[in-house]
Amino acid sequence: MVNTTDIKSTKRLLLFLGRRWALLFLLFEAILFSVIARGFFTVNVAQIIFFYGTSIFLLGTAETFVIITGGIDLSVGFVMGFASIVSAKLIVFLNNSGLSPGLSIVAGVLITFAIGLIPGYVNGTLVARLKVPPFIATFSMLAITHGTSELLIRGVPATNLPYLANAIGNGYFIYYVPGRVISLFVKPVIERGEYFLELIPNVVVFTFIFILIFAFILRWSKFGQHTYAVGGSVDAAVRAGINVRKHLVKTYMLSSFFATISGTIYVLQYVTGKADAGAPFLLDAIVAVVIGGASLYGGIGTVGGTLLGCLILSVLETGLRVMGVPTFDKYIAVGVILIFAVLIDQFFPELTHKGD
Amino acid sequence: MNSTNAASLEFRNRRSRALGVFAKNWALFFLLFLVGVFSFTGRGFFSVNNFQNIIHLSTIFLLLSAAETYVIITGGIDLSVGFVMGLSSVLSAKVMQVIHASGAPQPTSILIGSLVGIGIGLVPGIISGLLIARFKVPPFIATLGMWGITNGITLRICQGFPVSFLPSKLTEIGNGFLIYIWPGKSFSFFHKPFGVQNAQIRELVRIFPYSLVFSLIVLFLLWHVLKNTKFGQHTYAIGGSMDASVRAGIDARRHLLMVYTLSSFLAGLAGVFNVFQTGIGNFTPFNAMYELFAIAGVVIGGASLMGGKGSILGSCVGVVLIRLLENGLSISGVEPFFRFIAVGLILIMAVVIDQLFPELF
Repeated sequence: MVNTTDIKSTKRLLLFLGRRWALLFLLFEAILFSVIARGFFTVNVAQIIFFYGTSIFLLGTAETFVIITGGIDLSVGFVMGFASIVSAKLIVFLNNSGLSPGLSIVAGVLITFAIGLIPGYVNGTLVARLKVPPFIATFSMLAITHGTSELLIRGVPATNLPYLANAIGNGYFIYYVPGRVISLFVKPVIERGEYFLELIPNVVVFTFIFILIFAFILRWSKFGQHTYAVGGSVDAAVRAGINVRKHLVKTYMLSSFFATISGTIYVLQYVTGKADAGAPFLLDAIVAVVIGGASLYGGIGTVGGTLLGCLILSVLETGLRVMGVPTFDKYIAVGVILIFAVLIDQFFPELTHKGD
Repeated sequence: MNSTNAASLEFRNRRSRALGVFAKNWALFFLLFLVGVFSFTGRGFFSVNNFQNIIHLSTIFLLLSAAETYVIITGGIDLSVGFVMGLSSVLSAKVMQVIHASGAPQPTSILIGSLVGIGIGLVPGIISGLLIARFKVPPFIATLGMWGITNGITLRICQGFPVSFLPSKLTEIGNGFLIYIWPGKSFSFFHKPFGVQNAQIRELVRIFPYSLVFSLIVLFLLWHVLKNTKFGQHTYAIGGSMDASVRAGIDARRHLLMVYTLSSFLAGLAGVFNVFQTGIGNFTPFNAMYELFAIAGVVIGGASLMGGKGSILGSCVGVVLIRLLENGLSISGVEPFFRFIAVGLILIMAVVIDQLFPELF
């Protein structure tokens, strides 16, 4: 005799695991690389994963909002490049015209944030008012931002940023010299050969401040609710009194804003502005969102899920690099994981309704 | 009174019909307009050579867009075409390289390599078709998955470098012309006329590049299939409404599988042709965005991403429009950056026109 309660509890266990397959996969990946790649399981590598992952975390978050509304934003990668060039140029210009490095970085970044809203506004207007399919509208914006940023730099990466940019972008939140000093943000004077720890890169702190704020907004605020409502059904959202057009414009602006943040952080990290800074991350970002459980038909998705998806991708890439395998294999793995992710959703539809 | 009313109505009807014809074929008119503009601004733009050049360079894009046309009419999208093209290009070049190096005659290695390249093109399409038709994976995801997988396999085969040391006959075929005329002296088909010295090669008038002939044949077949056969009808039906077409007795699953396989096959064909044109096996660079430009051509040509609408002729006009714009701008000395912006603007224009005059389409 088979005990029915046993079957039920096994099923519940399977369901429990199935819902968290992305997390389990991430753990599996981390353990696998820790075992087969020497030197993977270290604090440094963990920090590298996050440090180089900032771009994809931010672009993934940008894409999450748009995908929840049922759209797609192909322009994020090149908006990121555009922002990196604009901010690099602005910072250099302000610095050369006599502002202190700190002030010119802050002012340059803030002005870039404002400029970065423009592509999103145009995207949103095209999608919401002129009913251009998001795929086309944002692809056009991809071409336009790409052209504009190439035009701004004319083939030469924007350089000559003040040293402070490098110090911020490659600095750490916590410096710890055992038994002597702990310092935040500022690197203490360290004697040659002295052992010290650098923990949590600054850029990761910035990135997660922004992401957490907007994850919170998506989860708890009216704006977030409306985003899900628009993605669920535009008609229903209109009947419920949501100004769908305005909301869509805001969503695309938000996506563009996140791409801009990513661009400015890129400038701090690499101390250059490049037109194709974000090009490799465009599809990675979409893949991460889908792995995170969002549906391209809209209405489903969370920032947390996207972050998991991003982590799966960046752990994969870093792991392969640590192993010394050519990163070509990454693409194959990404493709397989992506198809796998959607097949799981197809075969176990009960998993996608995350327990509510 | 009545008659004047009727006359004015007649006039207005005729005018709106003329406007309709214009708006419906705006891409074509825009193409002609651009030809006119560039003829003034760019020296040497308006010449047979340059037009042949444009067609020669558009061949692979024509094939990719034709592939995308079928898929988009069914309401799907195929993001993998660019990398399937790279895969077939690299694999067929690799096979040619190996067979050529083993001392086999050139035609053998070229033939076997091409067949392998065209054959491999079928595989990603069958897989994504199965995923889409049987397992209801959204086309965007399934083909994005194949995008990654084919890209990875391509780079694995070629290790990140183009595949070279191929038979020399390849480029002779890929860049050959149907007719060579040596003005006032002689003319010949397929080969340079006998006795032409290298110094005199500029005197030759060469018309009908093989790439043009090849594209015309393939595109004619695709146009015919889409326009006049049951297969084409079913393609439109599935794009118009999946439910209705299933109820009408169409085996939608099988049809979708065939459409994605066809799309991938054409991408493979484009890859092999690319080997003939360039003489090396090119992997698709990461930011080439072939698939996006192919889709752009299809949309400029009047297709809708919602499905049910689109034509091979329209897509050809769309592709040629983009290529001609790039060619004309560079001949006119405009910096290359502007052409990205121009493509973006034209794309937006295409869809906005589509939105403003919905009754036309």
